[in-house]
Amino acid sequence: MNRSSLHDLNVELGARLIDFGGWEMPVQYESVLEEHKAVRNSAGFFDVSHLGRFALRGEGAAEALSRLLCNNLDRIEPGRAQYSMMLGEDGGVVDDLIVWWLTDDEYWVMPNAVNQPRVMAAFAEHDGVTTTDLQSTTAMIAIQGPEGPDVIEDVLEQRVGRFRTKHFQWGGGPVWLAGTGYTGEPGGELITDPKTARTVAAALLRHGVRPCGLGARDTLRLEAGLPLWGQDLDETTTPIEAGLGFAVDFDHDFVGKDALERQRDDGLERRLIGFVLEGRGVPRHDYPVRTERGTGKVTSGNMSPMLETGVGMAYVAPPPEVGDSLEVEIRGRWVAGSVVKPPFHRS
Amino acid sequence: MQVPEDLKYTDEHEWIKQIDGRLRVGITDYAQDQLGDIVYVEIPEVGKSVAKEDILVEVESTKSVGEVYSPVAGTIAAVNEAVADNPELVNSSPYEEGWLVEIDPEGELDDSALLDATAYRELTE
Repeated sequence: MNRSSLHDLNVELGARLIDFGGWEMPVQYESVLEEHKAVRNSAGFFDVSHLGRFALRGEGAAEALSRLLCNNLDRIEPGRAQYSMMLGEDGGVVDDLIVWWLTDDEYWVMPNAVNQPRVMAAFAEHDGVTTTDLQSTTAMIAIQGPEGPDVIEDVLEQRVGRFRTKHFQWGGGPVWLAGTGYTGEPGGELITDPKTARTVAAALLRHGVRPCGLGARDTLRLEAGLPLWGQDLDETTTPIEAGLGFAVDFDHDFVGKDALERQRDDGLERRLIGFVLEGRGVPRHDYPVRTERGTGKVTSGNMSPMLETGVGMAYVAPPPEVGDSLEVEIRGRWVAGSVVKPPFHRS
Repeated sequence: MQVPEDLKYTDEHEWIKQIDGRLRVGITDYAQDQLGDIVYVEIPEVGKSVAKEDILVEVESTKSVGEVYSPVAGTIAAVNEAVADNPELVNSSPYEEGWLVEIDPEGELDDSALLDATAYRELTE
């Protein structure tokens, strides 16, 4: 099993470690709920060293990104980050990822942890590109929360805008920082060498920032309505069905474009919808869903720590409208709720 | 990890306390710690009959669902409504305020399969 550069610190902090895509990572330090609320109310930091990441360079890099990803870097410029997806020819989501466009000719690609080998291999096949793995050689820390930007300024002496990237030296090591995250809160994610990462983590702890595990990261991203690849997205679902059309640019050629154009023009048979339960119970992955229009299954669900009620996402065919009533079957009992547009909690 | 001496335990991490012929059932300190923050407890209705090893209660945390099985056949005699409203009682007080149900057993409790505190402590170490 792979281990983070912060492993010893995580153990020292009493983290409960579990397997995340072949990485032994903290699921919680003390309490998922308390860690969740720390991020919603003040700030927390996460060891996310398991996340995929590799550098992409070479004269063919821009073309490879344009061909292999459905969003378009022409929409942004160096020093910015963009959410995008790699699709199959049938429009299915092979991976959803973030690209950090650091300088004119250097891009860092951040796939999901489990998809790193596959995504990196797809880029490596392209002419005129080199790929360099960063997952095994660096550490990654996310700092998130309404006080996240202030924490970053106090500890790292930097400010970074939403979806902007920065490179600087700190504590004797190189740090790459982006104004990104997976919680619905402001803040950023940084990549650095293992030694500097330990110094950053120690500085965050000294500053009173709570270490948070991947359990809270999951409830936070769900409350923020952010899909998780492998649950809400996979190769059988398209970005259009998942409501991720904002990250598809039809003004360039990319793998899967024809399939998405057909779907865009013909209409959707099903769609990923958000729901909130009014009745008691916790919706979970795979639980059946019914509405007056269509039926489906929960892809992600949990108790929302902020709303203190069950929330989730489900593919429903044919898709209902926001405001429609909906029921989720929880252990043989249909629990009432309604279709809402995520995020479930707005900061 | 607390393991009170006066209780009996199952290898499914439940505790059982005999009170005037009734059996009070809950989950152990170890079980609540493994589950993490408990956000929902589904308790049965009073008067429901249960067979041995039926699911009595579902205890859900942010991470997973835990099932509590009936140690005996019998009838649900009482339920702890407080944990339905405040599931975190199971985390904060698993042996006292966080008890789950009381069962009127049919016949005698066969305690040959139950563990005493020493044996249960060994199981969790």
